[in-house]
Amino acid sequence: MENKGWDEFEIGAMLRTFDGSVDNIAGTKQEDRSYSENSSYRASVADWRLIKPVFNKDYCIDCQFCWVYCPDVSIVSRDKKMVGIDMDHCKGCGVCVEVCPTNPKSLLMFGEHADEETEIAQWPSKDEEK
Amino acid sequence: MAFDKMKLRDIEVWDGNFAAAQALRQCQVDVVSAYPITPSTAIVEGYAKFKSDNFVEGEFIMVESEHAAMSGCIGAAAAGGRVATATSSQGLALMSETLYQASGMRLPIVLNLVNRALASPLNVNGDHSDMYMVRDSGWIQFDAFNPQEAYDLNFIAFKVSEDHDIRLPAIVNQDGFMTSHTAQGVATMDDDTAFGFVGTYKPMNDMLDFEHPVTHGVQTEEDWHFEHKARQHNDLMTKAGPKIDEVFADFKKLTGRKYSQVETYDMEDADVAVFCLGTSVETAREVAKEMRTRGIKAGVVGLRVIRPFPFAQVQATLKDVKAVAVLDRSSPNGAAGAMFNEVTTAMYSAENSPLISGYIYGLGGRDLTKVHLVDLYNELDTNVKAGKVTTPLQQFIGVRGPKLAYL
Amino acid sequence: MSEMKKIKNLKEFSTSADRFEGANLLCPGCAHSIIVREVLNATNDDLVLAASTGCLEVCTAVYPYTSWDASWIHIGFENGSTAVAGAETMYKALKTKGRLKQPDRTPKFVAFGGDGASYDIGFQWISGCMERNHDMMYVVLDNEVYANTGGQRSSSTPIGSSATTTPAGSISYGEKINKKDMMGIMGAHHIPYAAQVAPNKWKDMVKKIQKGFATEGAVFINAVSPCTTEWKFDPKDTMHIADLATDTLVFPLYEIIDGRQYNITYRPKNVVPVEEYLAAQGRFKHLFKDQYKYLIKEWQERVDENWAYLQRREEAKV
Repeated sequence: MENKGWDEFEIGAMLRTFDGSVDNIAGTKQEDRSYSENSSYRASVADWRLIKPVFNKDYCIDCQFCWVYCPDVSIVSRDKKMVGIDMDHCKGCGVCVEVCPTNPKSLLMFGEHADEETEIAQWPSKDEEK
Repeated sequence: MAFDKMKLRDIEVWDGNFAAAQALRQCQVDVVSAYPITPSTAIVEGYAKFKSDNFVEGEFIMVESEHAAMSGCIGAAAAGGRVATATSSQGLALMSETLYQASGMRLPIVLNLVNRALASPLNVNGDHSDMYMVRDSGWIQFDAFNPQEAYDLNFIAFKVSEDHDIRLPAIVNQDGFMTSHTAQGVATMDDDTAFGFVGTYKPMNDMLDFEHPVTHGVQTEEDWHFEHKARQHNDLMTKAGPKIDEVFADFKKLTGRKYSQVETYDMEDADVAVFCLGTSVETAREVAKEMRTRGIKAGVVGLRVIRPFPFAQVQATLKDVKAVAVLDRSSPNGAAGAMFNEVTTAMYSAENSPLISGYIYGLGGRDLTKVHLVDLYNELDTNVKAGKVTTPLQQFIGVRGPKLAYL
Repeated sequence: MSEMKKIKNLKEFSTSADRFEGANLLCPGCAHSIIVREVLNATNDDLVLAASTGCLEVCTAVYPYTSWDASWIHIGFENGSTAVAGAETMYKALKTKGRLKQPDRTPKFVAFGGDGASYDIGFQWISGCMERNHDMMYVVLDNEVYANTGGQRSSSTPIGSSATTTPAGSISYGEKINKKDMMGIMGAHHIPYAAQVAPNKWKDMVKKIQKGFATEGAVFINAVSPCTTEWKFDPKDTMHIADLATDTLVFPLYEIIDGRQYNITYRPKNVVPVEEYLAAQGRFKHLFKDQYKYLIKEWQERVDENWAYLQRREEAKV
């Protein structure tokens, strides 16, 4: 939000999460919500990242561990399926990779500037020791 | 379950605390969150008893400290309903952190502040140290000089505070014991008339509106904080005063009782005036009349609205006066009296300024006697005749020991 | 009472629509938000939330952004509990008076606070809310340190932890006083429900949160929140540290019903030695010097003793 003058915002430093009226937020997915410009959903922390997770859906078993343990609501799951990563909100902590139980993992960390397609093409194979 | 209405006589004999409690009942306050402290306790006890007897519909929570009392008020006000509490002195000191939070969040809450000295040494009696302590907290502050006004100003406070253009909490001050525990005749409104004046609470940015989720109490740093504080100050400086005048006018229409931000008594032709707060106004009024029989044109100014400070009205009131004594019932602890400073600042930029001298009096409930005031008016008269302030700018009156005077 | 949200398994849980948003300012790998998500996603009911000053608060409502999709309030450091209690009281009043805008809703009232806000500065406020039995839930995000102000000890900081105000040094092993038994104290309020939870045991947590939401009256939840910054471990290891916390029994998972009945809700199949928990965190690094190694043994004894105590309480049903 642009830096407004003292007479241009609502009193009490109060913020509204949504534009207009909402009904049943707990039953509405993010993409269907009318977030206001004051919701951090509309902000990005992508520039915090030095490393980023890459998702390889070939190995994913949709266990949802990454979804439940993501601190940043950045694992997008729809209809019980892991769909992808919200790269605007991912801070690159790497928790999702650690909790991923598949072998090889379906999520791995790479440098922020790594090319996703290249990395998926070179994905490690099954680790027989595990 | 509907509540019962209470039949009141046109004139009831009430002390200031009971008058305030009756006002809370008649406003049908939704939540009172409170903690007891002398001399304000009877106000919230009154609400609790009215609730037990089904004369009010609302929730009373007796919490574990004054800080929690105001915290509960803030949560309740943010949820969206009419909220009130009462406290004094040390209780206000403990609660003071939250006063800034309530006003910064622009939440309408009415706090009955029964003025009492601040320790140490501990003292339960009336002075204005507590009132002064929170004068920069962003609350509207009214001052009642007697039980009638303690009753009336509660209705006025709710109406101003809850107005959507204002949304600032309000304190109704009354003097500890001298008003809070002194029974006098109070002209009442019947329950329907009284509630009709304040009306049903109109929520705004309420947390319980699940169709419009709101975030209250955010953090702002150097990029936003100044703008929010400026907004709050602006609304106090430009919006609260006119709204208070409007509500005073509505109240007069309803009850015939007239209030002004600056109350004046015998001021039309006054040469000398005492400027004070609380019960001292009534004492000074009596003495002023006596002084007039002795040939001194004396008047009294009582400050009804302490915040926002009615700068222009004070200027207009005092511009033709020759000498004014500003009385501060609080130890300034190393400076001129706070009210002295405010009045002097206003008059410095006025068309004409009277000679202004300051007096510190009545700490810890020490009586301000008529003799003190006679002496004081005589000093003002001497100043008028000399064309200058002949005394130190700050004198203590009514304290034992060698005379204390400074500046 | 509204119908309880059905959460049989993680797949079902993952259909939840979060009411907490990313691009908040919490550290990468912070457990606070994992806990908050598990709590909020345990219900579909409307929420009225509060937070005491602390990491969660300063990172989720910095103007002009809010990370909250439900109504939320912050007042100060000590009074998040009372803020929500005030809102809950207003809800009751308006319900009685027929003035609720959406009278068919069944909102849940939840306050969050760190251990500094809960064990220390806000202790009295929480005690008051619990004693008055407001229909609310108070959740401690227990990271055993004043993380928001940079790592000072709180009364939740355990023995041997190096905090900035109890730093380990050549003649000191750090914090000398053992962690306050907040669960025991809350139990002594005889509130209907108190529970200790951990984010890695999501199912146990959700079950307890749902039990709390279904409870009429005050609910206290103590959630262990591994802090990558102050416990000094790599952000990716947050859940690993949480696993160690529960599997060493340093953070046993249990509940207290009406202040009397203790139920242990998680018994690790393989109890891990406490030493592994300590070794995984920089805040305990100095304990592995020869002069302080005796403290590791004492740690294990304390944890064993506490586990035995909890089992005795559970068995005794008193």
